[in-house]
Amino acid sequence: MKKFGRNLLWIATAGVLALGMVACGGKNTTGSSSGSKEEGSTQAGSEQAGTEKAGEKAEAKVEGSNGSFTVGFDQEFPPMGFVGEDGNYTGYDLELAEEVAKRLDLTFVPKPINWDAKDLELNSGNIDCIWNGFGMEGREDSYTFVGPYLANKQVFVVREDSDISSLSDLKGKAVEVQKDSTGLTALNREENKSLKDSFGSLTEVGDYQNAMMDLESGACDAICMDSVVAEYQIKTFKKKAKVLSESLTEEQYGIGFKKGNTELADKVKKTLLEMKEEGVIDKINEKWFGTREGFILQ
Amino acid sequence: MEWTVVLWKLGEGLLVSLGIFAITLLFSLPLGLLVAFGRMHKNPLISGIIKIYISFMRGTPLMLQLFMVYYGPYYIFKVSLHPGYRMTAVYIGFILNYAAYFAEIYRSGIQSMDRGQYEAAEILGYSKMQCFFRIILPQVWKKILPSITNEVISLVKDTSLAFSISVMEMFTQAKALSSSQSSMLPLIMAGVLYYIFNFVVAFIMEQMEKKMAYYQ
Repeated sequence: MKKFGRNLLWIATAGVLALGMVACGGKNTTGSSSGSKEEGSTQAGSEQAGTEKAGEKAEAKVEGSNGSFTVGFDQEFPPMGFVGEDGNYTGYDLELAEEVAKRLDLTFVPKPINWDAKDLELNSGNIDCIWNGFGMEGREDSYTFVGPYLANKQVFVVREDSDISSLSDLKGKAVEVQKDSTGLTALNREENKSLKDSFGSLTEVGDYQNAMMDLESGACDAICMDSVVAEYQIKTFKKKAKVLSESLTEEQYGIGFKKGNTELADKVKKTLLEMKEEGVIDKINEKWFGTREGFILQ
Repeated sequence: MEWTVVLWKLGEGLLVSLGIFAITLLFSLPLGLLVAFGRMHKNPLISGIIKIYISFMRGTPLMLQLFMVYYGPYYIFKVSLHPGYRMTAVYIGFILNYAAYFAEIYRSGIQSMDRGQYEAAEILGYSKMQCFFRIILPQVWKKILPSITNEVISLVKDTSLAFSISVMEMFTQAKALSSSQSSMLPLIMAGVLYYIFNFVVAFIMEQMEKKMAYYQ
């Protein structure tokens, strides 16, 4: 009898918890759009079809079966994607993406992601693409790219009153670079080895905001970053900083899709070219960069 | 940007943080008790499994556990995810992690109870269940409340880890606002909000302690 009582306690508590979990899950499902119901059935279907098909099913979802175009971006990356004046997400890339989604008759969903988990997000189908000043260099084999669509340079930013005026002046200086960025990839290349080795130190930081704070406070002497971002930062926030005229490398931005998802990539590319022809892109470029030049998608 | 917009965005984040906090506590406190029973179970298989669970939960970063809960189903079992699963994964990750800590706190309380109390209860005709819930647990609660408060306060701050799987809680919002404004102010405001949140938590826990001090 005693033993029965104890077992009953175990079962009851476990039951309550299980119910709780189901309730949590259920709440989320009903909370989202009707599209999630479709997904639910897709999911159930793929389970029946066997595990080897599940991967393909996930891909099928990416094609926009739920009628949405989810763009993953780093929300700490002005001017490409960030929180705007009104509290909504804005930026050059997001504006392009929103227009593309509108033309493809898909609901535009900007999804800020943890940049460290971008591959996990993309491959598991949570986002349809990474569209966020995403340098293509060295990543060609990992993604299906649309692009290059925008030219960019990796440059060095120093304090306005700094005595650094060329790459050779960086000798012995404290340099910062964003982790997992094109700048870091470029610095790690063989031809830049002597430059990199000449630095006093090279620190990888989480985001450019931290790097700019370090530069202003004197914690570092130079930042290696995208010229597009550097110029926006200096202009918009009136930073007491300047960009070295000597740049590290030319690079090109692309829109990263899950490897093999050419169907959606082709659609996006076609739409972007249409927009280019109609002059829509010129307007967006002028708004964000003050020039019509720059868009290079062929 | 207007400061009202900043506050509004931080408020949105705070709601998410509050949700994680409340749901984690709601489920991990009872689950922790169950885990503590398992840990003290006579059957070595049950107590062994629970020991491994606790050791894993305490021995690996919560951030990694969130990754496992969220991406594991897809990468290990090839089950495709749907957008609503993100929050559920956060809840599951936090509940499992905090239950392990709470379990050890419960165990410290339960095992500190004098053997004589059980014997006295048995002589007075209490069943094991009655003895535990009417005599032992109320005393245990009083003993472990300060340790629980510690964990609860850690939980408030740990909610910021939810961003590892891209959940927009308050600290993430603060960081995004900080880089869009290039200003430290949103971070300081977030700090103040966290402090107020914890101040309220600490105040409530103190009131509970006072209420339970009926024999002192």
